[in-house]
Amino acid sequence: MEKAFNRQKILLQHLQPSSSQTHQSSATLSASICAAGDSAAYQRKPAFGDDVVIVAAYRTAICKAKRGGFKDTLVDDMLAPLLKAVVEKTNLNPSEVGDIVVGTVLAPGSERAIECRMAAFYAGFPETVPLRTVNRQCSSGLQAVADVATAIKAGLYDIGIAAGLESMTVNFISTSSRVNPKVDIFAQARDCLLPMGITSENVAQRYGVTRQDQDLAAVESHKRAAAARASGKFKDEIIPVHTKIVDPKTGEEKPVIISVDEGIRPNTNMADLAKLKPAFKKDGTTTAGNASQVSDGAGAVLLMKRSVAMQKGLPILGVFRGFAAVGVDPAVMGIGPVAAIPAAVKSAGLELDDIDLFEINEAFASQYVYCIKKLGLDPEKVNVNGGAMALGHPLGATGARCVATLLNEMKRRGKDSRFGVISMCIGSGMGAAAVFERGDCIDELCNVRTVKSNGFLSKDAL
Amino acid sequence: MPVFKTPFNGYSVKFSPFYESRIAVGTAQNFGILGNGRVHVLDLSPATPTLTELVAFDTADGVYDLAWSESHDSLLIAATADGSVKIYDTALPPNANPIRSLHEHTREVHSADYNPTRRDSFLTSSWDDTVKLWTVDRPTSVRTFKEHAYCVYNATWNPRHSDVFCSASGDCTLRIWDVREMGSTMIIPAHEFEILACDWNKYDDCLIASASVDKSIKIWDVRSYRVPIAVLNGHGYAVRKVKFSPHRRNLLASCSYDMTVCLWDFMVDDALVGRYDHHTEFAVGVDMSVLVEGLLASTGWDEVVYVWQQGMDPRAV
Repeated sequence: MEKAFNRQKILLQHLQPSSSQTHQSSATLSASICAAGDSAAYQRKPAFGDDVVIVAAYRTAICKAKRGGFKDTLVDDMLAPLLKAVVEKTNLNPSEVGDIVVGTVLAPGSERAIECRMAAFYAGFPETVPLRTVNRQCSSGLQAVADVATAIKAGLYDIGIAAGLESMTVNFISTSSRVNPKVDIFAQARDCLLPMGITSENVAQRYGVTRQDQDLAAVESHKRAAAARASGKFKDEIIPVHTKIVDPKTGEEKPVIISVDEGIRPNTNMADLAKLKPAFKKDGTTTAGNASQVSDGAGAVLLMKRSVAMQKGLPILGVFRGFAAVGVDPAVMGIGPVAAIPAAVKSAGLELDDIDLFEINEAFASQYVYCIKKLGLDPEKVNVNGGAMALGHPLGATGARCVATLLNEMKRRGKDSRFGVISMCIGSGMGAAAVFERGDCIDELCNVRTVKSNGFLSKDAL
Repeated sequence: MPVFKTPFNGYSVKFSPFYESRIAVGTAQNFGILGNGRVHVLDLSPATPTLTELVAFDTADGVYDLAWSESHDSLLIAATADGSVKIYDTALPPNANPIRSLHEHTREVHSADYNPTRRDSFLTSSWDDTVKLWTVDRPTSVRTFKEHAYCVYNATWNPRHSDVFCSASGDCTLRIWDVREMGSTMIIPAHEFEILACDWNKYDDCLIASASVDKSIKIWDVRSYRVPIAVLNGHGYAVRKVKFSPHRRNLLASCSYDMTVCLWDFMVDDALVGRYDHHTEFAVGVDMSVLVEGLLASTGWDEVVYVWQQGMDPRAV
C-alpha cells in the first residue's frame, strides 16, 4: 500500500506544479476517491456494458386535433410507421425486441392496447414480440421509456421499444360521470377532478405568475420552435407518415405525407395574445394562447444494453441515467417538475448545475414559468427548440417526443452538453423527470474490439 | 482509423522498427497505481483498418514503457513498475516469456530506449534516480548513471552518436551523458518544474526537446544551452511525452495530462500544427512510425489505443 501511496504522490506532483526544487507536497491538491465522479469538473466517462442506452428516437410530426393532418388517420397508422422506422434505421431484426411499451392516456385501456398490438403487426413485428400500454397521464411516454430501461437493467430482456401515442381527435378529456361521495371529505381526492385549466389558474394565483409572464413564455416557445423548424432541426427526428385526409365539405379523400409540425405560429406576438379571453375562469390568466395545444402525434424510442449496441455497431445517442415520479398537491398539479426534477437528478448522482439542457413540458405557461423560476434554471437551457405551447401536447406521446428532441439537440451541441433532463407535470398531482447523458464519442466507433477475457491474475514468472 | 480497447490503462505505445503494421502497447491496472500490467502486441491489418492482438504478456506490476529491439525483430523491452526490466520474445507464446527479467532498479522503471546505432544495448530510467545501461546478453547492467537528485522519467539515445544519451528528471535538469565518460558531460537546468520527457532531433544531433510539468516544451541546442531556441506553449497541463518526427526535421509530437496529443513545428512562430482531443483521460503515450510517414499512435488512461494518419481524425471510422 505504501508503494501505491508513493506512486500517487509522484503523479499528483505532475498535476500540481509547485516549484519542484524542494519536493514537499503542499496539500492544495490531493487524491480523493470521488474526484473523478460525474459531478467533478474533471470528467471521467465511465461506460459500462450494462448501461441502458438509446440508439434511436423518432416521432411523427405533431398535428392539430380535429382539423390537422392526422384528423382522418387511425391511431395504429400513426404508431406503425414509427415502430417500423426504429428497427429499419438501425437494421435491427424485429424479433430481437423483448417488449414494446406504449404510453397512452385518453383512450379506453384495452381497446388502445389492442390497436397498438395491431400496429406492431403492420410494422412487421413477428407475433413473438409482446406489447403493453402504460398510463401515467401526461408523462406516459416518459414512463414507457423508464419502464423499458428498468426491465433492461433488471435483465428481463436486452432490447426494448418505448413509445407514446395520442389522438386527441378521437379521444377527449372527459370527467367521470359517477363520482364517489367520499370526495366531500377528502379534499385532495376532489381536487383530482378539477379541470386542468383550473389547476393552471390555481398555480398562477398561488405563486403569482402574471398574464404577461405567461404570454411572454408562449411567444418565446413559438419563436424557438419556428427557428428550429426553419433550420431543419426537427428533420432528424420526424418520420414522415403517409396517410389520407378527407375534405370536410366534399368528402373527397386524398393521400398526403405528414412531416411538418402544424402548431407553430412564427408570428405570435404579445399584442395578439393579449386579445385572447381567459379560457377557464372569467378573471383568469390562462388562455388558448398560453396553454399547450390539443394535438395528435406519436413517438418511439429504441433502448438496449450498451454491450448489445456496441456489438451491433450502433451509434449511441444517449444513456438513460435516472427517473423519478413524485406526487404533489392535485390542486396545483402543474408544479410537478419542481418536485420531480431534483429527485431524478439526485437519483442519477448529479447536481442540478450539472444539467446542460432541459425539456420541460409546457402544459400551461403558468406552471412552466413557475417551475423554471422556482428551480432557478437558466431559460437559455430550457426548451431551446420550443415546447408544447407551440408544438402541441399529444398527452401519451409527449414523453417519447421529448426524448427525440432532447437527444438530437444534445448530439448537435456536442461535448459541452453532457446531461439532459425531461420533465412534465401530471394530472391529478404528480411530476415525472428523467435524466439522460449524451452518448459518448468512443461509441461512435464501430470497430472497437470487445475484450473477450479479462484475466487479472499475472502469469509472469517472477 | 483503427482503435484498440485495452483492459488496463494505457501507458506507452511504440511502433515496431521492423514491421510497419506492428505496435506494442504497455498498460497498467488502476492507472498504474496498484495492480498488474500487460504488454499487448498489435497488428494493423492494411485492408480493413483494425488492430488485432497478436500476443499479450501479463506482468505482476504495471508496464510504464516499452522499447522494441533494433537488432532483432521480435525482441521487446518492458519497463515495469516493480523495478524490473523484462525482455520478451514476441515470437514465443506467453508461457515461454519473459525470456529475461532483470532486477536492479529499486523503484519504478519509467522508460526504456534501445540504442538505434550500436543496436546492442538499451537504457532504462527509474524513479530510483538512476539510469542503467544494459545489453541483451548480460544478466546484469553494464553501468549505472547516478547523478540526478530525483526520479528520472526518461532517457533517450542520440540518433547519431552511439555513446551519447540524454536524461530528463524531476530534479528539473536535463543531463547529457557519454557512456565513455565518468560523469555527465552537460547539465541543462531546462525548466523550473519537473521534466517528464526528452527526445533528440532525428536530423540535427545537437537538438533536444524537453517536456515539463510547467506545461511547456522547450527545444535546446547543446552547443549553446543557456537559452532554449524555442518554447512551445499550448498544453493545459503537464506534458507527459515528446517525440521528434523521424521524417520531418522540424516536426514533433507530444501528449499531455490535458488529454490531448499535439503536433508542433518548432521553427515557425505559430508552432502548434495540430491538436487531437480524442482521448477522454490523460494522454500518456505517443509515437510516430519510422516506416510510414505521418502515421501516429497514442494511448491514455481511457484504455484506448488510437492509430491514425496525421491530418485525419483519430476517431473517424
